[in-house]
Amino acid sequence: MARKAFLIDTTRCTACRGCQVACKQWNNIPAEGTVNRGSYENPPQLTPQTYNQIRFIETEKSGDLRWLFMNKRCLHCGDAGCMKVCPSAGALYRTPEGLVGFDAAKCIGCNYCINGCPFDVPRYTEDKKVTKCHGCIDRVSNGLAPACVKTCPTGCLQFGDRDKLISAAKEKGKSVYAEKDLDGLGVLYILDDTPGTYELPAKPAIPASIFLWKDVIKPLGILGFWGAVGTALLHYVTVGPKKVEEDDDSYTGGKGDA
Amino acid sequence: MPKYIVRHNAAERVMHWTLVVSFFILVLTGLGLYAHAFFGYLNFFGGAEQGMLFHRWASILFIISSVFLFLSNMKETLTFDADDAAWLKAGGGYLSREKKEIPQGKFNAGQKLFAVFAILATVVMAVSGFVIWFADSFGRALVQFSLMIHALFFIFFVMAAIVHIYLASIGNPGTSAGMLWGQVTSGWAKKHSSKWYKAMGGK
Ligand code: HEM
Ligand code: SF4
Ligand code: SF4
Ligand code: SF4
Repeated sequence: MARKAFLIDTTRCTACRGCQVACKQWNNIPAEGTVNRGSYENPPQLTPQTYNQIRFIETEKSGDLRWLFMNKRCLHCGDAGCMKVCPSAGALYRTPEGLVGFDAAKCIGCNYCINGCPFDVPRYTEDKKVTKCHGCIDRVSNGLAPACVKTCPTGCLQFGDRDKLISAAKEKGKSVYAEKDLDGLGVLYILDDTPGTYELPAKPAIPASIFLWKDVIKPLGILGFWGAVGTALLHYVTVGPKKVEEDDDSYTGGKGDA
Repeated sequence: MPKYIVRHNAAERVMHWTLVVSFFILVLTGLGLYAHAFFGYLNFFGGAEQGMLFHRWASILFIISSVFLFLSNMKETLTFDADDAAWLKAGGGYLSREKKEIPQGKFNAGQKLFAVFAILATVVMAVSGFVIWFADSFGRALVQFSLMIHALFFIFFVMAAIVHIYLASIGNPGTSAGMLWGQVTSGWAKKHSSKWYKAMGGK
């Protein structure tokens, strides 16, 4: 199946937050109490009850104030840090469409994905189960658009074949954020400023420690284990044990000596 | 000279075997989280969440017993003399069948190195484990680093334990008795720890 993706053209977002609401409605997630922090941005970041969230960014460019909006969510990475670290097979999984879903029943609450994700996306519910945007798998697998996309009035959010979305964006002369990194992201951002302005890494990658842990240390561990066992056995059959001999002392061996 | 010499007192023995049991619980539950292939090990402990709790409780026993063992052998462990250097140079006499007489104290230089490794690795595992345990309270970069270090020293620890178990059992017959019920034969003592043997009154 052709890999599906979201396209998020931030230049078209009006920050109506219909997407935030539609997501809650479809996924049956309660609203959260919010507070006025001097910004429309609410809640201030992704939460266990908010799978996608509109960021309100105030920035200055050559003396002009710019007010930027961005729909933040799971980026459905091709090489997903969350899946790489998850010990419970199936708790985080790849759908045929290439999205990254989760299965709360299989999640063991180990916390690893929270720290393995390069974008700080997964959140925990109170009973220590993972939550994040799952791309409305239940809708997509039935040929429907994700709830947020369906609701977006401006065309900022689109969903479709990843290749087609990219070529359509390029035809309009727009470039896509980190198109090829992490084996291609499943959320294609068209940004209106530097990635840093949106608090996105310029060149996203699996965190170095996570890479060393899962792709270097873990396979070498097999070598280390069998190397140590092999060395001990080899020593036993070549050099052999240091036995306490008859002439070492008057008494040798006896009941219980291994 | 009596046939048997007391090598490890009862407290040391109990703590050593507490260490061993907790170590194996840590290894099995740790492996369950380490790779999908071993995930089933967590079922021995009543499922994954339960297994993770076992890991936390076992770590506390492990830290206590490891620190206790180090402290009770500390004086001996941290002395390093010319005989120890000679022992290391000769590879402890483990490299051939030829008999080498290298006088050693209660512990040989290899055991001292193992003891120093064991306490350092215990501290590393304890600190990185603490960060992973209370991940919410630490920055993501530190938690990621701790996850990596915890896996690295897990492997080092298992490798060291394999070598240790071999040398303390079939590699050196008679040694395990000293940790099981506390006594070794005087023949064993003279062969493996001649300076200690003399200090204990042997000739
Ligand atoms: C079934 C497995 C094990 C057996 C049969 C075993 C056996 C022994 C024996 C016989 C001694 C005394 C050595 C002597 O008197 O010279 C000893 C000491 C010691 N063992 Fe073990 N052991 C086992 C597992 C472990 C594990 C898993 C650890 C730690 C991770 C450990 C840590 C120590 C330490 C720290 C000492 C103190 C002496 C030293 O530092 O060399 N043991 N063990
Ligand atoms: S953004 Fe994070 S949670 Fe989403 S797929 Fe990538 S690594 Fe996983
Ligand atoms: S918290 Fe759940 S989903 Fe995340 S890595 Fe652990 S088991 Fe997997
Ligand atoms: S629905 Fe569309 S326009 Fe409205 S906030 Fe979401 S992405 Fe922006």
